[in-house]
Amino acid sequence: MNALKSILVALVLALSSSFYAQTADEIINNYFENTGGKDNWEKLEGIEMIGVMKMQNMEIPFEQVMTKDGKQVVTIELQGNRMVWSAFDGETSWQRNQMTMEAEKSDNEATENMKKQVKDFPDPFLNYKDKGYAVELIGKETVDGTETFKIKLTKDPVLVNGESVPSITHYYFDTENFVPIIVETEINEGEMKGKIVKSSISDYQEVNGVYFPFTVGSEFQTMNFKEIKLNPEVDTAVFAFPEKKEVKEKE
Amino acid sequence: MNKRIIFGALSVLFTIGMQAQDIVLKGKELFGNLEAREIGPALMSGRIIDLENHPTNSKIIYAGTAGGGVWKSSNGGASFAPVFDKHAQSIGVVTVDPNDPDNTVWVGTGEIWTRNSVSIGDGLYKSTDGGSNWKKMGFENSERISSIVVNPKNSNEVYVGVMGALWGDSEDRGVYKTTDGGTTWEKVLYVNEKTGANEVMMDPTDPNTLYAAMWEFRRTAWGFNSGGPNSALYKSTDAGKTWNKIHNGFPKGDLGRFAFAISPSSPKTVFAVVESKEDKGLYRSDDAGASWKLLNGDFGLVVRPFYFSRIVVHPTNPDIIVKGGLFGSISRDGGKTFKSLGNMHADIHDIVFDINNADAMFVGTDGGVYRSWDGGSTMDMVDNLPVSQFYHISVDNDEPYNIYGGLQDNGSWWGPSSSPGGIEARDWNRVGYGDGFRVLRHPSKRIIYSEMQGAQNVWRYDMDKNYTKNIQPLPIKGEADLRFNWNAPMATSSHQPDRFYMGSQFLHVSEDMGDNWKKISPDLTTNDPAKQDKESGGISVDKSGAETHTTIFTIAESPLDEKVIWVGTDDGNVQVTKDGGTTWTNTVANIQGLPKNTWVYHIEASTHNKGTAYAVFDGHASGDMNTYVYKTSNFGKTWKSIVTDDIIGFARNIQEDYVNEDLLYLGTEFGLFITIDGGKNWSRFTNKMPATAVHFIDLQKKTNDLVLGTHGRGVIIIDDISPLRQINQEVLAKDVHFFDTKPAIIKEEGGFGGGSTELQFVGDNPSASGKIIYYLKKRHTFGKMTLVIQDKDGNEVVSLVAGKAKGINIVDWNFRKKGPKVAAGKTFTFGGFTAPRASAGEYKVVLKKGKKEFTSSITLINDPKSSITNEERIAHQKTTKQLFDDMEDLAFLVYKIDQNVKKAEEVSEKDPASKKAADAAISELNKLKETLVVTTGDNYVAEAEPQLREKLSKLYGEVADQFEKPSFSQIENMGVYKTRLNEAKTAYEKINGKQVAKLNKYLEKAGATKTEILSKEEFLSK
Repeated sequence: MNALKSILVALVLALSSSFYAQTADEIINNYFENTGGKDNWEKLEGIEMIGVMKMQNMEIPFEQVMTKDGKQVVTIELQGNRMVWSAFDGETSWQRNQMTMEAEKSDNEATENMKKQVKDFPDPFLNYKDKGYAVELIGKETVDGTETFKIKLTKDPVLVNGESVPSITHYYFDTENFVPIIVETEINEGEMKGKIVKSSISDYQEVNGVYFPFTVGSEFQTMNFKEIKLNPEVDTAVFAFPEKKEVKEKE
Repeated sequence: MNKRIIFGALSVLFTIGMQAQDIVLKGKELFGNLEAREIGPALMSGRIIDLENHPTNSKIIYAGTAGGGVWKSSNGGASFAPVFDKHAQSIGVVTVDPNDPDNTVWVGTGEIWTRNSVSIGDGLYKSTDGGSNWKKMGFENSERISSIVVNPKNSNEVYVGVMGALWGDSEDRGVYKTTDGGTTWEKVLYVNEKTGANEVMMDPTDPNTLYAAMWEFRRTAWGFNSGGPNSALYKSTDAGKTWNKIHNGFPKGDLGRFAFAISPSSPKTVFAVVESKEDKGLYRSDDAGASWKLLNGDFGLVVRPFYFSRIVVHPTNPDIIVKGGLFGSISRDGGKTFKSLGNMHADIHDIVFDINNADAMFVGTDGGVYRSWDGGSTMDMVDNLPVSQFYHISVDNDEPYNIYGGLQDNGSWWGPSSSPGGIEARDWNRVGYGDGFRVLRHPSKRIIYSEMQGAQNVWRYDMDKNYTKNIQPLPIKGEADLRFNWNAPMATSSHQPDRFYMGSQFLHVSEDMGDNWKKISPDLTTNDPAKQDKESGGISVDKSGAETHTTIFTIAESPLDEKVIWVGTDDGNVQVTKDGGTTWTNTVANIQGLPKNTWVYHIEASTHNKGTAYAVFDGHASGDMNTYVYKTSNFGKTWKSIVTDDIIGFARNIQEDYVNEDLLYLGTEFGLFITIDGGKNWSRFTNKMPATAVHFIDLQKKTNDLVLGTHGRGVIIIDDISPLRQINQEVLAKDVHFFDTKPAIIKEEGGFGGGSTELQFVGDNPSASGKIIYYLKKRHTFGKMTLVIQDKDGNEVVSLVAGKAKGINIVDWNFRKKGPKVAAGKTFTFGGFTAPRASAGEYKVVLKKGKKEFTSSITLINDPKSSITNEERIAHQKTTKQLFDDMEDLAFLVYKIDQNVKKAEEVSEKDPASKKAADAAISELNKLKETLVVTTGDNYVAEAEPQLREKLSKLYGEVADQFEKPSFSQIENMGVYKTRLNEAKTAYEKINGKQVAKLNKYLEKAGATKTEILSKEEFLSK
């Protein structure tokens, strides 16, 4: 019996050490393999996500479109008004002012940082080396009660108040099925600077052969996607900054 | 044997083994997303050990704290965020690698200002990403690391000064060197097992020149000794290969702790503060230590070297020198004369100068970080460092309950567990000066007991009269002097509200709140004269009373029998009386495996069984870092250890659950540990809970909140731990299990708070929502999962954000239902964002996970404090519903108008022939619409004149938010809008029958599609 026990221990050890032998690349490869295969991911030209954002008491219907060339637009519906809330056409990033509901351009740093994110599509880990990103396996950690691999993703530095700061995100990949379940990002501005925001990712579902999470939530808001469309047809005009009408309507 | 057979056999064995075994979940697997909340306070902050700034970026500053880990500021000290929460929180030194200052940071754990209450470290850590991730680099047994020096030309070459153990011998002490970035270490300077390195420095212009201050020191529970023949200052000029004493000009004889500094702008000038019986003071050398001259022996420079041995020379001006001390001293003439730094919290431990602004500096004190912009003359406190060090906490039974506690060098305080706008600095009230320790609320009166060190004062404070009386027991004729611990024990009784206990070496009891005292025990300690050292300190006498020993430390009257009283002493006695103090039995001899005279830190008398008690022993003050927790069920005749390997760190406190006897909460030097099976297995609680020392735990009876007094991160609360009581094997085996919850109270509150600035710490309030609490056997990652509240008839009331963690999930429901559909206008209406509140009653909870459905229920009840009658509530609900319906009616009406206008505009553009009919419809419809919703303006000062939607929303929002029945004016007001709404509907029908009908007729004729208008139901569910 004792001998058996020690064999068991040896087996368990072998098993766990083989887990440790996982490299960041293997984990990321497994992730793509388990979510539809790299080929399918690489074929994506655009993604449209339709859902509801829950924030405090509000449920805000929204649609988000992202394209391979980095364009994106978020359309929301607020009290019956459907409007583009924010967009980026590859050159200009803009959003709506909450007071006037008019479009205003983002500051130059936000725009520059947006340009750097273009490469993220459809997933920052996809061919991350070609993007100039770096990954590092930090180790195993239990999050959400679940054993995960903690992977650090370092992207191109971003500009914050005139300073170039590193862009670091931590992803926790479930050791069972190799999909990320928690993402941690650091707030890099304001009095909350340095605080970590944790996003929980779940409800992965298949969309034409590729798996996407249908729920992404943080302490501030949760997004539930009702539908994800791959390679949608989009009128590129929606991405562009709407120039102001010359004459304002009379009251 | 065939391999396959072995494997088969093994797997069978494995499954059988698994089935037979209990399911044991550890840590996060069990706790899921049950989380702690830190409520500070930060207004008095806590002890700062070491400050470190970035060599080229003035915005980055690190603060190493006594018990709250490492904090980083990236905005020039305006605010700090913790970056070291998972590791030992007692910090000795933080060093930024000058070659890679953005990324590489080293942290040596274990505080170096060796007061009696210091915690311990567990080694050296390195981050290569600015503090995001940390890797341990060895030195597990170092206990205290004082210095980390990186060669400014070679990041791989690093020197580490290990000060080492405070309460025992250690061969880990000395100076170490690595040449491979910390993979391997070589000890390059070692004196003996009593003498550690308290400062190591490198000449900024020559990495081969090093200085090391070696210090002989030792603490016991009853004394402290600084200095001896082995304390010395050493220098190496060959990168640590050989070391020589540099004492030319120093006093002879035994020396103590050296403070040491190199002038960065002229490295031949070095300064040393020497602790000595004779000629102590600040020495200066202008020949790199070859000879020394005494400059100054002022009090500010030589006071308490074990606590203040940091001297800092200005980075560019060699004449400006600052020395840590009681008030901190600054010289502007190269050390000849000094004056005190500006007013701030006393006890200055470290100073750094801003790298760009010669007048700016940061100072670490016993009360947080201060900043100055005028060379240290005026000091401004950082208000968001909640690193306060509680020795003890307690809670009362108010609603919301208050927390009481005493802080290291920061007095005694009480503050609320919840406050409008969050728990702010202004919510805390002072209830004692000096060092604060135990603070207890009278069980029934608005009276607070508090004390200062050694029971020099014991205060009884009347909260209503704002009146204080000193009530400490005093020695009486013919009897011994009283020996009170630095942290003197006090206790109240759950049987006699006015009863109040204090412990010296005797147990004293008062039946009139401290006015009169009676001694009800003999000396319960060992009364060992060898442990009653009156001349503590060593070379510098240090008589603060902090080392008074052979005293009572913990008192516990049984909540089940007032005659049963437990007393634990700091010299290891566990005494019990069963007759109210007439006879006493020392039961410590019945404890197996406990070293003799181990400090009894806490005794918890059980609420379940008269003979049951728990005793927690702490041997760290004799160098024993093991965990000792014992349980007796027979008044101490036998004791059983309930410690397992799961527990990390020596323990100080245990709290028994009031409901489930097997549920215990243990505070150790490295955090909180919980068992749900009476101590067979323990789990560390880490959800938003830093690895800080937990000195005291209390469990609030009404809320079931676990309240922790930490020695470095203030008060930390885990709200409502009742789900832990319900966990058993049956629960753990289920895929989903809903825990029973108390009916949720719809609190009728709504006030104002928020008097803090953006940079002041504000503690989170507990959630006032209803809670749906469930256990998931496995984290939900794939497929859909939803959580919906339904009414009795199965109609969806609201859909919530489901928790998906493995273990315990807590989902808040703020009692709101779905909000109304609001008419589309140009701007928002704030009332339109209001969702009506669900009324009291039972609701169904439906959790859908893939195809499986799990149900439970939640009961809402009205605020028992409310004076609103049931009829009034019904009237309120009815009016809210009417207004809600009016809102949606209006939304539908505007929708119909918009659809028609849209169609008309489309047609008119495409087909000029339609223009006449289309324009007529557009014109009439828009005219109507302009009276219904605003179609111009913005959400701010260009706001348009409000129309029906705006007015109706405002009324609806107000009514929905209130609890009372609507006022007459609200009802009348509703009538006005109802009339307008009805008129508008009629007007629309008129247009619809005329202009719109005309257009539709035209469209029909032209073969075009008619305007598509959804039914009202379709529209509302869209």
